[in-house]
Amino acid sequence: MSKKNEIPEVDIVIDEQKGVIREVKQPNLRSKAGHERRVNTGIYILLVLISVIWLAPFVFLVFQSFRSYATEDGGMVAYLLPKQWSLDNYRWLFNDPKSNFLRWYGNTLLIALFCAVIQTVMVLSVSYTLSRLRFKGRKLIMNVVLVLGMFPGFLTMITLYFLLKQLGLTQQGAIPGLILIYVASSGMGYYISKGFFDTIPKSLDESARIDGATRFQVFLKIIMPLAKPIVIYTILMAFMAPWGDYVFASYVAFGSEPNYNVAVGLYRWVNVNDYQGYFTRFCAGGVLVAVPITALFLALQKYYVEGVTGGAVKG
Amino acid sequence: MKKILALVLAAMMVLSMASFAAADDGYAGNLKIWVAEATVEFTKAQVEAFKAAHPEYANMTVEVLPVGEGDAANNVITDVEAAADIFGFAQDQLARLVAANALMDVEPENAKVVAAENDAGSVAAVTLGETMYAYPMTCDNGYFLYYDKSVVSDPSTLEGIVADCEKAGKNVYFEINSGWYQTAFFFGAGCTLTYGTDNEGAIVSSECNYASENGVKALKAMINLAKSPAFKNGSSISAGSDIGAIVDGAWDSNYAQEAFGENFAAVKLPTVDGFQLGGFGGFKMLGVKPQTDEAKMAACDALAAYLTSGEVQLARFEAVGWGPSNLAAKSSEKVQSNVALAALADQLQYAVPQGQYPNDYWSLATGLGDDVIAGKYNDLDDAALLEVLQNFQNTAASYVTAK
Amino acid sequence: MNDLDYLKLTGFSKLGYKLKKFFTGIPGRLAGALKGLGLWFVKLFRGIGSALADLGSTFVHGDWKTKLSYLVMGFGSCARGQWGRGILFFLFQTVFNLYMVNFGVAYLGKLNTLGTIETYREGRKTVYGDNSFFILLYGVLTLFFVLAFLYTWYMNVKQNRVSEQILKSGKKLKSTKDDLKSLMDEQFHKTLLALPTLGVTVFTILPIFFMILVAFTNFDATHQPPSKLFTWVGWDNFRQLLSSDNASYGNTFSQVLLWTLIWAFFATFLNYFLGMLVAIMINKKGIKLKKMWRTILVMTIAIPQFVSLLYVSKMFAADGLINSFLMRLGWISTPLPFWTDPVWARVTVIVINVWIGIPYLMLIATGILMNIPADLYESARIDGANAFQMYKKITLPYMLFVTGPYLLTSFTGNINNFNVIFLLSGGKPLSLELSGNAGYTDLLITWLYKMTVSDTNYKLAAVMGILVFLVCAVINLIVYNMIPSVKNEEDFQ
Repeated sequence: MSKKNEIPEVDIVIDEQKGVIREVKQPNLRSKAGHERRVNTGIYILLVLISVIWLAPFVFLVFQSFRSYATEDGGMVAYLLPKQWSLDNYRWLFNDPKSNFLRWYGNTLLIALFCAVIQTVMVLSVSYTLSRLRFKGRKLIMNVVLVLGMFPGFLTMITLYFLLKQLGLTQQGAIPGLILIYVASSGMGYYISKGFFDTIPKSLDESARIDGATRFQVFLKIIMPLAKPIVIYTILMAFMAPWGDYVFASYVAFGSEPNYNVAVGLYRWVNVNDYQGYFTRFCAGGVLVAVPITALFLALQKYYVEGVTGGAVKG
Repeated sequence: MKKILALVLAAMMVLSMASFAAADDGYAGNLKIWVAEATVEFTKAQVEAFKAAHPEYANMTVEVLPVGEGDAANNVITDVEAAADIFGFAQDQLARLVAANALMDVEPENAKVVAAENDAGSVAAVTLGETMYAYPMTCDNGYFLYYDKSVVSDPSTLEGIVADCEKAGKNVYFEINSGWYQTAFFFGAGCTLTYGTDNEGAIVSSECNYASENGVKALKAMINLAKSPAFKNGSSISAGSDIGAIVDGAWDSNYAQEAFGENFAAVKLPTVDGFQLGGFGGFKMLGVKPQTDEAKMAACDALAAYLTSGEVQLARFEAVGWGPSNLAAKSSEKVQSNVALAALADQLQYAVPQGQYPNDYWSLATGLGDDVIAGKYNDLDDAALLEVLQNFQNTAASYVTAK
Repeated sequence: MNDLDYLKLTGFSKLGYKLKKFFTGIPGRLAGALKGLGLWFVKLFRGIGSALADLGSTFVHGDWKTKLSYLVMGFGSCARGQWGRGILFFLFQTVFNLYMVNFGVAYLGKLNTLGTIETYREGRKTVYGDNSFFILLYGVLTLFFVLAFLYTWYMNVKQNRVSEQILKSGKKLKSTKDDLKSLMDEQFHKTLLALPTLGVTVFTILPIFFMILVAFTNFDATHQPPSKLFTWVGWDNFRQLLSSDNASYGNTFSQVLLWTLIWAFFATFLNYFLGMLVAIMINKKGIKLKKMWRTILVMTIAIPQFVSLLYVSKMFAADGLINSFLMRLGWISTPLPFWTDPVWARVTVIVINVWIGIPYLMLIATGILMNIPADLYESARIDGANAFQMYKKITLPYMLFVTGPYLLTSFTGNINNFNVIFLLSGGKPLSLELSGNAGYTDLLITWLYKMTVSDTNYKLAAVMGILVFLVCAVINLIVYNMIPSVKNEEDFQ
């Protein structure tokens, strides 16, 4: 990764008279190296500064989550380091009968798993079709999706709520309801993986078709094995998104606390006045959500980079 | 097809007859209650007690869920059907709920009892026009001052409190961008802002004299407070830090005692610029939503009446510190001796019973408060401040629905 | 002005010329788009016209099986042995007829008034009347269904004509088994798109269509079904949101719109250039631990925003960590008004958005920078170019060329960037100068959210949604053709 993009330091020049490439004898060679070193030092300082800014909030969050609830109260405080480190908040999340945290966590995990599977199937179907199959109405579909995408997503919240309610998928049924609305329109997010399919040479399909394979077989046996990076990217995105959704999740599940997702539950702890002293619990809950997601993301970072880079280049 | 239809119709008739029959001997279906998180456990216990006392309701399934007074009204209005059958809410939402047809009027027999047993202000607060729409539950929805004895030496003037806190590097919390807390200044200085409603909850008249000498006085007091580095906008003890003093309500009293420890103290609001801070005295109430099933309606009526009865109000006070609106409960020794409630009672002499306000009023007041906090008026003279308030007053008057 | 004239211009007037050309071109581009839309409609009506003509001629020339299929869908197919298709056609017709008789007709009939029966009380019992919401929703659904039916009916007739022709020419018709097979082969796109199309139709197109209609009703907190009826009011809501008399939101709307565009501009381009800069720094030769720096940065992508942004928002509060830290150091005596002063709040959300946005751009830029041919830099260096010149002449044009479409999508994406504003400032601070619960950091989309959730003012939210759509559409139309890298998509293959 790092080799290819390095810009070679050019201290050579083509000597046209002699027809050879020779190294330039630069009178200020030493000061140039010094300049280079100074630039690099500057960059290191900047990078360290950036890293501190980037990491500080997360480190603070972890600090707060370990503050002792018993001796230092669970509200906001103006100091950073806990006076007494403890696992009070975590213990409360797991053990206290009043805590629904595990339930919320399970809800979200369930939603995320279902989304990861169904949404991936939807996205791959659409992007494969639009990328590699030619049929009447293909352009029309792409234009319609483009136009639909310009409507703000929250516009239709009230309609979706009542549609789900007709199916019995609000409040107590909020979990399947949320899965349904997350995946139903997910085919519209086909751009990135279509960009990926576009790069696979068409000759592969054609030779297989000549050999008598059906389109379905081409899809399953030839394209899918090549599409591993984009499949993983799609799964990763589909899995991560439900963890952060507050708006739809709270709108669909309102009033039914056992059916919240983690985002709704934790958001309420800090933004609804009924909850006094829940700030450190929010931090602990936040850490428990962030750690596995971050670990997963970092582990699959490579595919993510391929996905966003490809998507950005192809629009 | 017709046969199936006939079968379904027949089945439905049998079912509806069954439910008619049930009307006489209670109700055995489901019932949902929304109350503030702090009172969920308490309410569950009281529901059990209710079932024990009323055998006809013994088989009813009651679900108690934490939905705070702030959210309840919004949720009920969004979808009445999915909403709880009985829900707690604060007074300011009453007109909105009635206007959205989301509240059933109180059963006439119960209404008589409620009117006789509860504080007159709370009875007025649940009544629109001639109709009583909810059961008063508390009359502690007012605010007063909690402070740290080791920081604030004399809580009688706001200037003194601010100076003490500045010296100690502590914060003074006062949520002046809330239409609810803000009135402490305006009402205290002698201004009024009230709206009149009709039977259906529509706002039909308004009266406001903020654009006056007194209004300017109040606004200047807010501006001066906001200028202090110790001032913080807020009213939640747990969301604040380094609290020297905070204007907050009785619902936070348990938490305040924990947070301040032995330095805990509570009094009425201070004076500022020579006038006593006033404000709202409000109430929390239980409402019942309209039902399509009479037996269920009867069950809701009975349960709501029970949950707001004198004994239960007293028990609620003992459990979570909420001040009762029931006259007998209010005059009980325990309630009288509660520090926070005593401070509140002290403050309520200067407060105005809260009436009905249009939803738009609250965001208008937040706009005024945010402008003050942003320092927009710091350099304005009295004439310019008067203009600001005139503007405020005109907009406030524009919320009256033309008939 | 010809090319030579253009080249003679100085850098600054070159920019001026380009800008002038851009803005004078806007009306033309919009007109072009409208013309395109018009042509599309013409094509649509022509298509419908020729379909009607087809229906006529097929009926006249068709045999009795075909003629009966006009009444009983699928009859012709069954009669000719194509059982699978025939039964599907027939089933569809049966379901449609049942639906129309039992629900559809009733809802369509009420669509013009959206219901007339009020809710009333019978003793302590409430009897609900018409539900305007469901009348409108099912009305729209029924219209969709009718359109689908007409189309299917047309297909059913066409099927007969085609079958007749095939049989006349002496060939055999496809059997049901062949049909099923082709769904995995020639017709594979139908198989793959069936479910996604159904999902998008029911959960995106239907709701959007419904909300567009709501913009012309008085559906709000005081007209809330099931207890109250709502009805059609024409353009009143547009007037309330856009006109600038006292009770309207016109002034506030223009302020919020302006801020939305400013925000989208900074959120897009600031992130873009800073992200690129960071990528260049990390990728520079001689910088070690490249992977570590990248990993640290992408933490903000990985951690759910409701955790990180909520926490950061508290950090910047008047009594938050940053202010109390600075005050303890004695650097400031009053808290910095991060969330309370309008200008501060706007700058703060933009800056914190950089925190969220840089890593994303850094990853994209890294990928692209690697693809820039190294010899370009080499020859530039020989020509004596310094780092900045190389950036200006090579890196930037290349990046802009490749990421043009991305910039456009990210600009419209930022117009609808809900999370950052909602979690950080919630649109605050409010002001007497703004109305309708909007604050200085509110974007159109967060204002729309407030209207929906806190004010249950659906009619205005619907109008707002339409306006957001128009803003995005106009920007897309204006910018799309300028992007250098809008290439023919087949080029990639």
